[in-house]
Amino acid sequence: MELIDYQDDGHFFSGHVACAGCVEALALRVILNTVGSDAMAVVAPSCSAVICGGYPASALKIPVFHTTLESAAASASGVKRGLVAQGKTETTVVALAGDGGTYDIGLQALSSAAERNEDILYICFDNEGYMNTGGQKSSSTPKSAVTGSTPAGKETSKKNMVEILAAHRIPYIATTSPGDLNDMAAKVEKAKAIRGTKVIIVLIPCLAGWGVVDDGAVKTARLAVDSGVFPLLEVFGGHDYVLNKTTKNQPINDYLKQQKRYRHMSVEQIASLQAEVDEQWQRIQKRVEVSSGFEA
Amino acid sequence: MVATDKQQASPLWTTTTSEVRLTGTWREAKPDYHVAPSPCHGACPVQGDIASWIQQVSRSEYYGAWLTLMENNPFPAIAGRICHHPCETACNRQQLDETVGICSLERFVGDMALTQSWALPAIKQDDDCSVAIVGGGPAGLSCAYQLRRRGFKVALYEARDQLGGLMRYGIPSYRLDRAILDAEIERIIDLGIDLHLEVELQDQAALKRLHKEYDAVYLATGASQSKNLPMLDYQQPWVLDSAAFLAAMSHGQNMLLGERILVIGGGSAAIDTARSARRLGKAVTILALEPEHLLPAQTIEVTEALEEGVEFVCGAMMQSTQVKDKGVQLHCVKVDFSAGAERGEFAIDVLTGSEFNLVADTVIPAIGQQVDMDRWAGLLAADQGLAQTDQGWQTSCRGIFAGGDMASMDRFVTHAVGMGKQAAQAISHYLRPHTEVAQVKTEKPVGFEAINSYYYPISKRQKQKQTELETRLDGFSEVQQALSDHGAMIEAGRCFSCGTCTYCDNCFYHCPDMAITKLATSEIDGSPNRAQSGPSRGIGYSIKSDYCKGCGLCVAECPTGSIIMREDTGCSTKQESCS
Ligand SMILES: Cc1cc2nc3c(=O)[nH]c(=O)nc-3n(C[C@H](O)[C@H](O)[C@H](O)COP(=O)(O)OP(=O)(O)OC[C@H]3O[C@@H](n4cnc5c(N)ncnc54)[C@H](O)[C@@H]3O)c2cc1C
Ligand SMILES: Cc1ncc(C[n+]2csc(CCOP(=O)(O)OP(=O)(O)O)c2C)c(N)n1
Ligand code: SF4
Ligand code: SF4
Ligand code: SF4
Ligand SMILES: [Mg+2]
Repeated sequence: MELIDYQDDGHFFSGHVACAGCVEALALRVILNTVGSDAMAVVAPSCSAVICGGYPASALKIPVFHTTLESAAASASGVKRGLVAQGKTETTVVALAGDGGTYDIGLQALSSAAERNEDILYICFDNEGYMNTGGQKSSSTPKSAVTGSTPAGKETSKKNMVEILAAHRIPYIATTSPGDLNDMAAKVEKAKAIRGTKVIIVLIPCLAGWGVVDDGAVKTARLAVDSGVFPLLEVFGGHDYVLNKTTKNQPINDYLKQQKRYRHMSVEQIASLQAEVDEQWQRIQKRVEVSSGFEA
Repeated sequence: MVATDKQQASPLWTTTTSEVRLTGTWREAKPDYHVAPSPCHGACPVQGDIASWIQQVSRSEYYGAWLTLMENNPFPAIAGRICHHPCETACNRQQLDETVGICSLERFVGDMALTQSWALPAIKQDDDCSVAIVGGGPAGLSCAYQLRRRGFKVALYEARDQLGGLMRYGIPSYRLDRAILDAEIERIIDLGIDLHLEVELQDQAALKRLHKEYDAVYLATGASQSKNLPMLDYQQPWVLDSAAFLAAMSHGQNMLLGERILVIGGGSAAIDTARSARRLGKAVTILALEPEHLLPAQTIEVTEALEEGVEFVCGAMMQSTQVKDKGVQLHCVKVDFSAGAERGEFAIDVLTGSEFNLVADTVIPAIGQQVDMDRWAGLLAADQGLAQTDQGWQTSCRGIFAGGDMASMDRFVTHAVGMGKQAAQAISHYLRPHTEVAQVKTEKPVGFEAINSYYYPISKRQKQKQTELETRLDGFSEVQQALSDHGAMIEAGRCFSCGTCTYCDNCFYHCPDMAITKLATSEIDGSPNRAQSGPSRGIGYSIKSDYCKGCGLCVAECPTGSIIMREDTGCSTKQESCS
């Protein structure tokens, strides 16, 4: 059995107010402990902002700056440049934002930071909706998923953020999930060592927003990966794709069954979503095939 | 500005850490570490701590694994060869891919102990009480071992000139090498047993004398009388008793006449008789009442017999015999066999018009053994042909205990060993009421649903190699070969360790609330997957009541089913712990 191999040095404190069983808190634990003490965080309004903060207490050992929903990437760029001006070139600046703050409202700021290749580590907690405000849809919400603002299921497909970011040719893009904490720690570790803009998208099955049982988010994340709904991959320089888990051995049904937001789906809708997943999988395979095999 | 500890956390804006909020008050249920029995343990006739010793093997703690095995069974190398392994039938892993090869691992450890000449810890204190054991088969030897370890004086009376019972005079050496048998028995005798070989207890008067002379007696004389087929004349020179044949074989003596051998029966004894005869170059047919898939012998025995060219005529019986010029003709008929509720019970219907004949030079019935209870008549009560015993294996005569084949229809070596152990506990309690408390795990075994199988990728069972068919019939050397070191390591890694924590730290790392404390840590890490520089592993954990929100993720991500959620009444601040 593979054992979990990162070291918890106490960079994330108990007493935060994440829901019981929330894997965004679990991901923060892995990320913050891997990023280490020579770091500063910037957080956009989102569940992670709620988890980190709650004035006058902080759940983070490192300093954290609460910014606006639009500007996580811009604020992180500013903090990094300020540190560099002070000669603190080694300090990692980590931006923490939700999918609303990344795919929608903060996309402009992220795009321009990426275009300038700012030296920041940008973490997107992708829970596929505006969850801390009660569960509205975002452009990351998948087709057919029910949210507060798509009561009959969303009609359009999830935006492909990896491809958007790849088009910016930044040094490192990765996806990871709380289903594999070693994978998460390894990717953060790798990103930390790279200069320039790094983006890691973390799939966060949201207990309340997706309708997952309290102890089920890790399992749901694994099913998302095993069914190919959320492939674990890395993109180097915007060109070279590496698929970390090369098998897709489960139909999406098992994944959908874990969640209330997909409960209403007809057989046809499931087939259509499955086709979308299969098509995405093949596209990634092709990208992997034409990649030069480069890996940092 | 780099913060290095809690006190300095974000000093510009915040004044404290989130730890001031006791989010544990949200909780309705709380995880609880527990050690629960594994299904294999529940099925094991010696109640072995299988999950524990297999974990020790996977950590390369072989001596420790051997000691854990030796707690319940002084014969791991023997059991690893010939146990019918009901543990494997119960194993949770079969619900994922295939059962764990518990028996082959047991042999691996047992053999290592013999090649390395490992010794048992010295006996701590000597006790004045003395116990006489009658019968040096697995039941008697197991009882002797367990009593001697507890410090009692033990005298062992055996009718034959060598110990082992049916392990020696029944099971042939191609299944159990005699060097292994001798070595595992010798280790017990070396503990200081007062040995009386070639002393047969003749009757109840002799037993009474022992009862007077010793503080307690354990009787384990087996089931020594062969059951007889009414339609067979046992006085004929061409009829040979299988027990006598196998006993002679164990001394290298061949009692067979002619070239065509017919064995009657479908159990281990019948198969062993047939395979031994094949090794003497004979043509062998087995005639059994049961259809092939219901034969009482182990499947592997039947498979190997078929490979070795034994012919099977199943679902049939002999009705009469006729001596002809060239051998004996057996008039047989096909039957419809249906098994009864109890082991050994069955009903048959003769199929009319299905008559057929078989021809043989020697006929060897091997249809089972019964207990000679007449010998003890007047002293010991019998019950359905067996010695009558209570739950603690005490006979109708106070101070005389019995076990093994003579007291049970579970006619297997490890059952005899388990009965011997239980009797030793009972005798110890009888002699020293305040010291011995029988330990029984009453908790329900851990089911497959409690195991998080994500952590166990599909992995095929490591098969033991067999001696090539061509050379098997040349002699009586062992057919089954031991697992390699590498194979044993892989096989041990397949065990889920059901209900026994492996200190994997998964619960610790999957808590989103940092509500689990490692009670102590170990820098020594035996795990083969472990990076040299990795974090130190916990050896025991506790739940922080102040912060556990009761989500259950730790339970869901435990690969071994060692944590359960319990309702939290909220009034206790006690830390639940496991160490
Ligand atoms: C051919 C054959 C193959 C078998 N194969 C297997 C197998 O593969 N796996 C398995 O688990 N089981 C097997 N069994 C069954 C197993 O061997 C027995 O269930 C087991 O040995 C019973 O142990 P026991 O100690 O009760 O009796 P025994 O092994 O019969 O030992 C009884 C001992 O008591 C001695 N004794 C008897 N009467 C007296 C007396 N009056 N005074 C002094 N000593 C006396 C005998 O000489 C003997 O040594 C097999 C049996 C046979 C016959
Ligand atoms: C410009 C702006 N619009 C709306 C809000 C209110 N708001 C705060 S958090 C949030 C949801 C953010 O969703 P997401 O980024 O996906 O994070 P999540 O809550 O799902 O973690 C919204 C709409 C805001 N802070 N700023
Ligand atoms: S997986 Fe291991 S502990 Fe569980 S039943 Fe099988 S052998 Fe026993
Ligand atoms: S994972 Fe943590 S918070 Fe959840 S039940 Fe276990 S100890 Fe409690
Ligand atoms: S998760 Fe690992 S360390 Fe925790 S109780 Fe289960 S086996 Fe033990
Ligand atoms: Mg969101």
